[in-house]
Amino acid sequence: MSPEKQGLKPGLSRSRPRSEGNEAHPLGAELTRLLGPRKVLSSLSERLNYRYDAIQFGVTPVCVVLPESTADVVAVVKAARRAGLPIVGRGAASGLSGGAAPMEEAVVVSFTRMTGLQIFPERREAVAQSGVITLKVTEAARPHGLIYPPDPASFRTSTIGGNLGENAGGPLCFKYGVTGDYVRGLEFVDAEGEVYTLERDAYDLPGLLIGSEGTLGLITSATLRLAPPPVHTRTLLASFAEVGACAEAVSAAIAAGAVPSKLEFMDRACTNAVEDFLHLDLPRDAEAVLLVDTDGDDLETVQEELALVEAACVEAGGKVRRATTDAESAALWQARRSVSPALGRIRPQRMNEDIVVPRSVLPEVVREIRALGDASGFHLVQFGHIGDGNLHPNILFDPRRESMEAVHDLAHRIALVAIRYGGVLSGEHGIGTMKRAFMNDAVDPVTMSALRDVKAALDPAGALNPGKLLPDPLPAVSSQEPAHAGS
Amino acid sequence: MNHDIPVLQIGPQGEVMAHGVDACVHCGFCLPACPTYTLLGDEMDSPRGRIVLMKEVLERALPLEDAAPHLDRCLGCLGCVSACPSGVPYGELITAFRGWSEPQRQRSPLDRAKRFAILKALPAPKLFSVAARVGQYAKPLGPMLPAALRAPLDLLPESVPAMQPSPALTPAQGPRRGRVAFLVGCAQQALAPNFNAATLRVLARNGIEVVIPEGQGCCGAAALHTGARDEALKLVRANLKAFNPDDYDAILSNAAGCGAGLKEYPAVLHGLPDEAQARAFSAKVQDISEYLYGLLRSGDLTAPMPASRPLKVAYHDACHLAHAQGVRMAPRQLLRSIPGVEVIEIPEGDLCCGSAGTYNLEQPELASQLGARKAGHILGTQPDLVVSGNIGCHTQIQSHVRRQGSRVPVMHTVELLDLAYKGEL
Repeated sequence: MSPEKQGLKPGLSRSRPRSEGNEAHPLGAELTRLLGPRKVLSSLSERLNYRYDAIQFGVTPVCVVLPESTADVVAVVKAARRAGLPIVGRGAASGLSGGAAPMEEAVVVSFTRMTGLQIFPERREAVAQSGVITLKVTEAARPHGLIYPPDPASFRTSTIGGNLGENAGGPLCFKYGVTGDYVRGLEFVDAEGEVYTLERDAYDLPGLLIGSEGTLGLITSATLRLAPPPVHTRTLLASFAEVGACAEAVSAAIAAGAVPSKLEFMDRACTNAVEDFLHLDLPRDAEAVLLVDTDGDDLETVQEELALVEAACVEAGGKVRRATTDAESAALWQARRSVSPALGRIRPQRMNEDIVVPRSVLPEVVREIRALGDASGFHLVQFGHIGDGNLHPNILFDPRRESMEAVHDLAHRIALVAIRYGGVLSGEHGIGTMKRAFMNDAVDPVTMSALRDVKAALDPAGALNPGKLLPDPLPAVSSQEPAHAGS
Repeated sequence: MNHDIPVLQIGPQGEVMAHGVDACVHCGFCLPACPTYTLLGDEMDSPRGRIVLMKEVLERALPLEDAAPHLDRCLGCLGCVSACPSGVPYGELITAFRGWSEPQRQRSPLDRAKRFAILKALPAPKLFSVAARVGQYAKPLGPMLPAALRAPLDLLPESVPAMQPSPALTPAQGPRRGRVAFLVGCAQQALAPNFNAATLRVLARNGIEVVIPEGQGCCGAAALHTGARDEALKLVRANLKAFNPDDYDAILSNAAGCGAGLKEYPAVLHGLPDEAQARAFSAKVQDISEYLYGLLRSGDLTAPMPASRPLKVAYHDACHLAHAQGVRMAPRQLLRSIPGVEVIEIPEGDLCCGSAGTYNLEQPELASQLGARKAGHILGTQPDLVVSGNIGCHTQIQSHVRRQGSRVPVMHTVELLDLAYKGEL
């Protein structure tokens, strides 16, 4: 079966192979016998709902398992291995790189029912099974005076397992770091069905699994570090008449010594899409909006830092509005978190980039990408964790009227801008299928071969989430020129 | 999402459905807002999953009967609509889908009889009242009856009050400041006649003349949301005939479900000749709390007397008020306008109580799990009173709160205002 996708790979035809094959696969029957009917989904109406994430549709899985324990996961892995079928792990499937969408006939293991969560306040740790919703960790920790800082935009929906698989970031990561910075230990099941319990010492195997997008093992549980929340937080919103000016303000604020906890940017299209949803009186005319939090235990320092940011914004020509209440700042952050899905109001589909560039080159990079977008004729929007240099240029398109080859081509040019300025392809959403083709531009052959060796060591048969992250090997004699290198 | 729905073959409702499918970017923001996903943890019982199922059925890639169990489990609470940044009109999509698919459904005779009974009794207050009384006598037999018959009995309150006739015209007290039309509702008249009586008193006290136009009937929401589209169209058109929007400042409902139903008329009649009429009508429709809040905001609301002691009021957002109509602040502000009343928020407040129209009768198990969960959260706040703005929620919450051993009063927003006006709070 070829992939049915809303996809972006050039050359894939739009003709949809239907979700034919209502007949149950024998593996479904075997797993039902092993695990009971509640945990195994075999009918077409059930299976076809496990072929997508938040960006892409893939191939309908032959069966879906909703494990409730690590032992269940082991049973699935061993059975799939006997049947010679690959396995795709899945959390809430809110990912934006195609990471959870099966690209070939596979068994999908959906972790949404593995929701065990324990808080150990004395150790400032949480032990969470991989299906725990990210926000629930903080909700459970808060009565003990603790929080779990990583805060991806999807934190009400996404799972800890998915966060680990993609090494998710979030607005707070400028000051507090990404998911991987909060992991003390992991339990995972490898391609043979062996269970590992690992701390982050000796060979940092948890580090290897974090961000591996389910291609090296299935994470079943994690020991997470918790932290006390800052006592004070202050929020401001600055608006700019030009995107580059926004980036200049960010660089200037940081150079002046401010360490905001969050530094987020949205361009005009993003602001307007969100405003249509939330009606917050956001500045619709601004070409770029910057949303900033400073936080800490000493109010004076928090306010001084906010003043530094404010001064930098004004210096760069921005207009500043401070949030006066907690409710106002909460609403502004809800606005930022809603950007990504709100873009669906502009065009039904999008290609989501996730580049990271050095902060020093931010103004040039955002301007260059803006110019690429303007020249392309596509709706190109930008937002992201600008404090980290993590930008999300999104190409919005309608596959019925616009060429997917052209979308892919523009995405490639954007990726190359990032690489040219010393950046990388993914900050937090992973490579998945979306940026897989660009990996050869971003990773040198020696490093690539090391990545392949790691994959071969942990998953020799290539059974775990095939078609993701690592590109197909290049032909032996490489005469390939990147189509649009440089400009 | 991409689709190949044969829009033209389906007609105007095909457009409505295709637009809903188009708008979904399958981001999953709807998942935590969905009561059935929260209970069942699987994708097919989530809004995003249901949209995929509807798309596949409309594209003829999946038989309707395979998708139906998951679509039937949808409460229609529209929690997903509030949570959706992409603006998917999920309510319009599933309502249109149910209307389109119902004629193709193969239902068992018992199922058909049950649906027929519900759809006949609900919109007929007198019939409903008789049924409710008969049901009360049958209540002790409950444990011996099959589940399908037990569910409606479980829902009945301990006593069914006498029907109260509604006056065709309630004059304003003092100088007349406004004139409104009022939809009296169906089941509510039998189960909680005081909701309407209190509404009329509160409006009159505020100088508002209330007309109950003759010829009005059920809003049609129950029929529409269960797929009985032809039935619904009859009811919708009867109301369009009964209410002339030009004659009134507003057309009011005090039941969130009915109010949402009235506001839905333009979508129901989309592409039909009376669509414009439906637009003019629904532009005038307001929930009672919206209308009274308008008076409060302009300084025209008669001040209620203070409560005799400080009262903690747990306010429950009816889905069809909060999610379908976007009315959240108005009832809270009205309650706060009573000196001595503190409004407290209920944990998981956005999640449906499980009542949702006829859901209690069609999916009693899930409805009951949700009801118990909601009652637990409400009682956890240790309120002196529970207030909501919808008869369905009222019945469900009252029944589950009692089951958990509490006698806390459950009231409608206007009942509380009415008591405050009388100095009896």
